Amino acid sequence: MRWLGRTFGDKTKRCPEEEHCLELVRLMLDDESTQEDNDYVLKHIDGCYQCYDNYDVERAIREVVQKKGKNVKLPVEVVTEIRQKIEVAK
Amino acid sequence: MFCPYSTCSPLIFDIFGLVEEEQSTKPDRQKTELFEREFMPHLEALYNFAFKLTFNEDDAKDLLQDTSMKAYRFIHSFAQGTNAKAWLFRIMKNSFINDYRKKSKAPGMVDYQEVEAYYDSGKGTSPRDITVDLRAETVRDKLGDEVTLALNSLTVDFRTVIILCDLEGFKYDEMAKILDIPIGTVRSRLHRARNMLKAKLAAYAAQMGYK
Repeated sequence: MRWLGRTFGDKTKRCPEEEHCLELVRLMLDDESTQEDNDYVLKHIDGCYQCYDNYDVERAIREVVQKKGKNVKLPVEVVTEIRQKIEVAK
Repeated sequence: MFCPYSTCSPLIFDIFGLVEEEQSTKPDRQKTELFEREFMPHLEALYNFAFKLTFNEDDAKDLLQDTSMKAYRFIHSFAQGTNAKAWLFRIMKNSFINDYRKKSKAPGMVDYQEVEAYYDSGKGTSPRDITVDLRAETVRDKLGDEVTLALNSLTVDFRTVIILCDLEGFKYDEMAKILDIPIGTVRSRLHRARNMLKAKLAAYAAQMGYK
């Protein structure tokens, strides 16, 4: 169970810090946050169901975008054409 | 030296390690070796970027060739040891804006500021509206083309930041240089782009019957 051992409060309550926390979560996942931000986020999501949920969804979206978003193979002939054009440009 | 990219300021040009000098006297052999070593490894990523900008295989090929030729022509401006991939992405992004986007008149293109204002007004889909569980493996496994569709449905400014960050792994400061915008704008644009992408993916998942 994902939530096993975690001590969340009322799951139906909206977190007043949700938007701010989401911004910090995104910075953290992008590896652009400060240690202070990370400490805040990790402490906060440990006790906030909603923000942990956001964190989990953000991670899932990145995973699916990275897995399925990069799907175009470079045609071999394009590389050959580029090399040929460079030869001509010399 | 004049800037080959009309939208780029001399300062940003310098940041990218572009050396202020006239056309290099480097022998062609050296230029070709440098091109092969520094630029060729990034062609696949560049082609992916081109395809996601143009949505068209032929246009993507043209954009890649155009970018490659500009990179070769101005190779004397590239300082070895600096970020070749970011340098190339910047050339491609500017080529797209200056040439391809104007030519195609980009159907359905929306002004970024307008979209931003719309989302700021609270009328746009908020992440809070999302009820579909995008974490569920069943949902993620089924999302294939929909990911591409969701990404492609974003306007080019929002699409670009997601591509650069999530697919190409650029840092915010590198993105700021590639896009020629302040780092704070990168951050806020990415945040809004992620909100939109999340809403679109959730909508696709919901259409597929997932709750």
